[in-house]
Amino acid sequence: MARVDTYGLSHAGKVRTVNEDHFAIMTLQKAVHLRATNLQDTTLLDRLRKPQVDIFVVADGVGGGVGGKIASGVAVKAVVEYLAEAVGCVQDFDVDRENAFLENLSQAVERGHHRLKEMFQTQGGPATTLTMVTVVWPRAYVIHLGDSRGYFLRRGTLRQFTRDQTMGNYLVDIGAVTEQHAEKAGLYNVLSSAVGGDFVPTVGVVDLADGDALLLCTDGLTKHVSDERIAQILGSLNAEGAVHSLIDAALDGGGTDNVTVVVAKTE
Amino acid sequence: MIQKKVCMVGVFATGKTSLVQRFVHSLFSTKYHSTVGVKIDRKQVQVGTEQVNLLLWDIEGRTADQEIPESYLKGAHAVFYVADGTRRETIDQLFSLRDHVRSAAGDVPSIVALNKHDLKDQWIVTPADTAKLITGGFHALTTSAKSGEGVEDAFRWLATATLTAPPTPTVQPPVRHGN
Repeated sequence: MARVDTYGLSHAGKVRTVNEDHFAIMTLQKAVHLRATNLQDTTLLDRLRKPQVDIFVVADGVGGGVGGKIASGVAVKAVVEYLAEAVGCVQDFDVDRENAFLENLSQAVERGHHRLKEMFQTQGGPATTLTMVTVVWPRAYVIHLGDSRGYFLRRGTLRQFTRDQTMGNYLVDIGAVTEQHAEKAGLYNVLSSAVGGDFVPTVGVVDLADGDALLLCTDGLTKHVSDERIAQILGSLNAEGAVHSLIDAALDGGGTDNVTVVVAKTE
Repeated sequence: MIQKKVCMVGVFATGKTSLVQRFVHSLFSTKYHSTVGVKIDRKQVQVGTEQVNLLLWDIEGRTADQEIPESYLKGAHAVFYVADGTRRETIDQLFSLRDHVRSAAGDVPSIVALNKHDLKDQWIVTPADTAKLITGGFHALTTSAKSGEGVEDAFRWLATATLTAPPTPTVQPPVRHGN
């Protein structure tokens, strides 16, 4: 299994007074730590070690000020709680249990959605984007709502594995409006799906390889930093260095929004 | 409920994602977006007295010299091959694609969608092509993600095949040829 170097940071940016973004990096593992033994053969204990699960979540609250901050916080907290409770789902992980595992991940995000709905029972209450990647090496499971993004860098090529769930993309896709119209009308800034809003998560899988770098970020990064620059930074620094450098680049580019960056680099 | 993993495979830009979109969401996008990794959708279908939950693994299309990662194919209960009826190479590659898929997923039920049948003026599939596919053991059907032609039929046929014994060559879904 590849060693994974991870780091994450969130910054309010240069303009906004409230940071509505949240993130979490967590590891789940059922492990046997052998403290001492006089056994000759300890391979049995190796077999008892279960797969390590690394989970990365970013969320960008919408709804303005404190509402957005609460929304993203509630969603991330609910996901973390659910997965901590469901740690048993990673035991004896194999392809036959993969569907059940995916179901658990979806339910974790759904819990955040229901919790928000319970807290704000009015229509149009606070909502949040949420992008979660769960790595059971080498497989990365992706659950995505809204316009926070996931990328991976492989041999210098940056690829986005999420697609922004915006009204702009939706209406252009079905041929209802042109890209120009969507841009002019600000439809790319309106989410078509979110936790706490219209809840239509997309689910995906990407198999990682040694040397890949994984990036999750809110749109405070991508509205100011080009893909080329992101690839350059991800490819040249360790996780902590890359996170700091990407946030600096977003602030240098204007810092008009909250910016959150999570990086995981395999070695 | 019974769950079945169905892998959508084919060369890039043959319409795999569009077929899933049409089947699951009744939508068609005129814009092309390449899939990165795998996108997973679900749809329940009724097969006889059984409810079957199809887990549709829409696997990133590859070029001729790239192979689909075997890890994506493992555990598949069925394979949905997609070829573009306006691009000969996507049909010619079906046999080598099947060899690769079988090595990872075994000999599971499968179907071939000859897609983009709405593009009639560019359609290149001949009766000889479809005969070759059928004699080669493929179950083939013309589809159009844009119009919806054949889409429901193809997925339902495959869902049924996952519940029954391996389909016999005499039970072929209809193959329609271009005008």
